[in-house]
Amino acid sequence: MTEGPARLVMGPFNRVEGDLEVTLEIAEGRVAAARINAPLFRGFERMLEGRDPRDALTITPRICGICSISQSAAAARALADAMGLAPEPQGALVAALIHAVENVADHLTHFHLFFMPDFTRPVYDTRPWHGRMVDRFTAATGSALTRAVAARAELFHILGMMAGKWPHTLAIQPGGVTKAPTARDRARILATLRSFRRYLEEVLFGAPVEAFADLASLAALERWATGDVALFLEAAADLDLAHLGRGSGRYLSFGAYPLPEGPVFAAGLWDGSRRSVDPAAIREDLSHAWMLGEARHPSQGETRPDEDMAAPAYSWCKAPRLDGRTVETGALARQIVDGHPLALALAAEGGVRARVAARLLEIARTQLVMETLATGIRPEAAFMARGTLPRDGAGMGLVEAARGALGHWLTIERGRIARYQIIAPTTWNFSPRDAAGVPGPVEAALEGAPVQPGETTPVSVQHIVRSFDPCMVCTVH
Amino acid sequence: MSQIETFYEVMRRQGITRRSFMKYCSLTASALGLGPAFVPKIAHAMETKPRTPVIWVNGLECTCCSESFIRGAHPLAKDVVLSMISLDYSHTLMASAGHQAEAALAETIEKYKGNYILAVEGNPPLNEDGMFCIVGGKPFVEQLKWAAKDAKAVISWGACASYGCVQAAAPNPTRATPVHKVITDKPIIKVPGCPPIAEVMTGVITYMLTFDRLPELDRQGRPAMFYGQRIHDKCYRRPHFDAGQFVEAWDDENARKGYCLYKMGCKGPTTYNACSTVRWNEGTSFPIQSGHGCIGCSEDGFWDQGSFYDRVTDLTQFGVEANADQVGLAAAGVVGGAVAVHAAISALKRAQKKTQEKVEG
Repeated sequence: MTEGPARLVMGPFNRVEGDLEVTLEIAEGRVAAARINAPLFRGFERMLEGRDPRDALTITPRICGICSISQSAAAARALADAMGLAPEPQGALVAALIHAVENVADHLTHFHLFFMPDFTRPVYDTRPWHGRMVDRFTAATGSALTRAVAARAELFHILGMMAGKWPHTLAIQPGGVTKAPTARDRARILATLRSFRRYLEEVLFGAPVEAFADLASLAALERWATGDVALFLEAAADLDLAHLGRGSGRYLSFGAYPLPEGPVFAAGLWDGSRRSVDPAAIREDLSHAWMLGEARHPSQGETRPDEDMAAPAYSWCKAPRLDGRTVETGALARQIVDGHPLALALAAEGGVRARVAARLLEIARTQLVMETLATGIRPEAAFMARGTLPRDGAGMGLVEAARGALGHWLTIERGRIARYQIIAPTTWNFSPRDAAGVPGPVEAALEGAPVQPGETTPVSVQHIVRSFDPCMVCTVH
Repeated sequence: MSQIETFYEVMRRQGITRRSFMKYCSLTASALGLGPAFVPKIAHAMETKPRTPVIWVNGLECTCCSESFIRGAHPLAKDVVLSMISLDYSHTLMASAGHQAEAALAETIEKYKGNYILAVEGNPPLNEDGMFCIVGGKPFVEQLKWAAKDAKAVISWGACASYGCVQAAAPNPTRATPVHKVITDKPIIKVPGCPPIAEVMTGVITYMLTFDRLPELDRQGRPAMFYGQRIHDKCYRRPHFDAGQFVEAWDDENARKGYCLYKMGCKGPTTYNACSTVRWNEGTSFPIQSGHGCIGCSEDGFWDQGSFYDRVTDLTQFGVEANADQVGLAAAGVVGGAVAVHAAISALKRAQKKTQEKVEG
């Protein structure tokens, strides 16, 4: 297998959310082409048809046990859009806080449980940092993992309090949230956030959260010398992860945490400069998906699985394109579009290090956002606006999940759901080829990745795939 | 069998101190509703019995069960259970990947033939020969049957594995099928809920690991110790139900007062689970406490019973206990099987007591 072009199938891919299979064509020690298969299809869009539109609030979160609040937030916004309803400002604020908690916890999970354990592999046992990695990040038992899991469980007390349970909360509604926080809840939320800050400052960053959130250049990032972040940066520099798995340089964000005055993190498309996004320019291409039908805008889209699984298709995943082009979405995109100076510096780099560093940056910034939101809770205010669903109508809900841009498109006819289409962040990132043969963002980023002789699960491929933090159950749904 | 370590040896190897071990034993005793007298018995069992290996496989699902499991629960109990589970095969948490991981699974099955517990998260879709869920190049249903063949018992985690859950919702595009319809020759413990409560998951698995036997089950195959009571019976808003005080609209004055959510579609009266006692996210709260009705996610068919915001019956006037029970019975007809459970409870309590005596003896 060391001479000439060879084919390698990696799957099941562990420590990602859901099932993933990557087929690589390898030539001269490098990945020549990659094809991503999302091998799990459940058909949520079909199940939603014919139901009470409000049931989307219960059904769609169950697409994914990791990003369930993102799904419920998108469903609530799609319904609100159809109702012509704006949530109560305080309801929007609490919904934003709940959502931010989930997103930041997702980043923490990704870093500790999914991404870092690859550095403990035997292939790296001659590296100066390997011993420390093994101690901190061995899968399931490393000391950093234990601390992170405990900190996350405690942070989730906020979701317990405000959303009843996690995963699969029911609290976010089109008009706001079901739970009006009391003054006591507010105090407990702030105490929980103080405790989470302590964890971040003692363990993850090893320094004040503000110091990391204020980093403005790659040089400043590279000088960071404390916490587990420093261990990541040391390995990233040693392995040159800055230049591994570079993306297209086109970044999409729908804007995170909508408040009456606008989203906390801005919406837009960045391809060298920031432009506004036109959701009408989205098409889902089906040429390489096991789906029947034509490329359409999601408001007109359909989900008809091809039971023959006919070639040239190779995945259940549709291929969304914006203005006919691929875009990358996620924390890096969100922070670039929001114009953070460090993120803008990372935009040009666009590889494994940039994606992981942007997630860390977003953890720091989101901690500050959560503190501001919680301080702004006014228990005496209204938390839910009431509205009526139209008998016939349509709505669109665009939010930012931890992994990036998430959209729900809903059509109501005679009081029932007539059409429901979902494009998840990982649908964008892990999409297959389109009709023009253009590979999806991850497929493109994998091209050129080095493969050592004898490697059956090339570690470079692991790093690149995981740097996108795939959520495969959301991808196809 | 002598080559398999005891639980205690595993824990010590994982750096858990004797003191923490004893604390774990007492936590386990209280979590399972056993008295302090059981602490030394649990300790003795764990010091002398070879550990029971657990293999954790994932089918058609959303990973909410794993998520619930790894982040809820008492940190110590979770660490201990988790460290034992991760010794074998877990798709979401393990270090290895690809064929290496599949090899690890084969090796584990071979090594512990007839002695391991198979924990299943999600379910197999049967349409198109199972092609809607592929693991390691093969339909999940094949992996499931293969892994179950030599298991001594199967745990069905969550509503997916137990009943099908939302992915089996009409028209059930993939024919998602609960585990017990595919595996028919093994004892199956259903731990439903979407997801199940972390403490319930650790409680069930700890019981099985510690005592090396199945917990007492109700007629639906759920552990009676956690699924023996209706949410409604232990709900802190129950007095408002009995007094006829209801929330009429989101965030109205009655909602602020914490009145009953029955009229907002709460399924607490027909749902058997521990949410109103154990609660969620380390005992912080549960859906009803956050102002939203229960959706009945631990009951079979909860996803296809009309809107989640429809009332369980059309009764508008009630307020005394007799009527509340009527509500429960009338709606139980809708949510299949709940009546049978109701009838079985007293029998189960007796059975549970018997189990405890057996442990003592």
